[in-house]
Amino acid sequence: MSQKQFFIDRYSKLGWAFKETKLKQSIRINQIDAKGKKLPERLRGLGVELEKIPFLAAGYRVNKSKVSVGATAEYLLGMYSIQEAAAQIPASLFTALGGKMVLDACAAPGGKTLQLSDLMGNSGVITALDINKQRLNALANHLERCHISNSIVYNIDARQAGMLNRKFDRILLDVPCSGNFAGDDQWFYRRTLDDVERNAEVQKAILKETASCLSDNGEIVYSTCSLEPEEDELNMDWAIKNLGLQIQKIDCIGSSGLTEVSGRKLDATVALCRRLWPDVTQGFFVCKLKREPKQ
Amino acid sequence: MRPLETFAERLGAKIVFNPEFTAEKSQRFYLLNPRLKKLQSNFYYAGLYLGKVKNGVFFPSFNLLNMLLPVAANKVVIDPKAAWLFICGRDVFGSGIVKVMGSKRKGDSSLVLNEYGECLGFGWITSDLGSAERVAVKNVLDVGDFLRRET
Repeated sequence: MSQKQFFIDRYSKLGWAFKETKLKQSIRINQIDAKGKKLPERLRGLGVELEKIPFLAAGYRVNKSKVSVGATAEYLLGMYSIQEAAAQIPASLFTALGGKMVLDACAAPGGKTLQLSDLMGNSGVITALDINKQRLNALANHLERCHISNSIVYNIDARQAGMLNRKFDRILLDVPCSGNFAGDDQWFYRRTLDDVERNAEVQKAILKETASCLSDNGEIVYSTCSLEPEEDELNMDWAIKNLGLQIQKIDCIGSSGLTEVSGRKLDATVALCRRLWPDVTQGFFVCKLKREPKQ
Repeated sequence: MRPLETFAERLGAKIVFNPEFTAEKSQRFYLLNPRLKKLQSNFYYAGLYLGKVKNGVFFPSFNLLNMLLPVAANKVVIDPKAAWLFICGRDVFGSGIVKVMGSKRKGDSSLVLNEYGECLGFGWITSDLGSAERVAVKNVLDVGDFLRRET
């Protein structure tokens, strides 16, 4: 059996019939930098046809463009960022971000850090970590481009977040993952279940370390662009059973999280997670966790 | 913060940074809010990046240019075609200039703005700003630099 067929059969057993997906480019308007600039009209004047994405507050699909949307003056002046539609979901799931202490544990290249800062109105503090110093250059460039002033960036592995001795009100865990085939023709030929299992272990280590930095009543949003349950539902099941976290209901597109994987029954609350099979977005998984204070 | 203040003076602006809320790391300068100031320790990047000194020369950030925009005396507004060429790294010809504010003196620095008054970068005034055929503002830094940094 080919590697591709193996994964297609796997998805079928999980309840999804495989179909090829062609993604359109998406952008997110930065509310602070684009304020009062009539950005959609300006971009239309450049030959960029946008379509509002109904489930996102500031997301637009690029239906057609005469110019490279990553090279316009408006982009370079920080008025918008190029960000895949599903990737715009996690940061939007936090409640009341203004003035909060936020951790973006796997931050580079920074799309979600910029979005968090925008949602925070450049208030509070974002501590952004990434293990890869080269990718931090890209993050720094984006922070400068979008005039972000509330972030502090460290070249630290998220599995060592505790060394900062800080408590966070909100933690974004957009963890390194195996990815998915949407938008990547070679994905099926590069990935194996061994990769998936290795990534799942790293993700659990990140969850464990960062959960120890979460304030009472704090929120974690966990996301991956992997379709593999080991990196998604199984990790969430593990987190609620081992880290004292509870899964929260979220208002988000997609289907319910799987509560049975390969005959293994998971906690019923895992259904509150959202799984986005590739369609109008890339494949994605997102879950919001909370730590209720001890009585 | 002397390099920043000297740079501002070249644009005809006076700006003073409170050392309480600034940080320097590896000859890079940052403006920090009070909460960041308390947290700063061995960071890679923090707050608002203001610029860097490399080989004794100060290179401003676009954040600094934007901070200077309301207070800088020297500004040149250019038309859309000249704006596009400018962010591609090209110099500004006299024919592309719509409006000049402040100095017209050769050798002075000036912010370069688009038709919306947004700062695209800065350059040196190289010759009489009234001449259409000649380079009038030599491009020193433009926002297209964000793309060039990636390659």
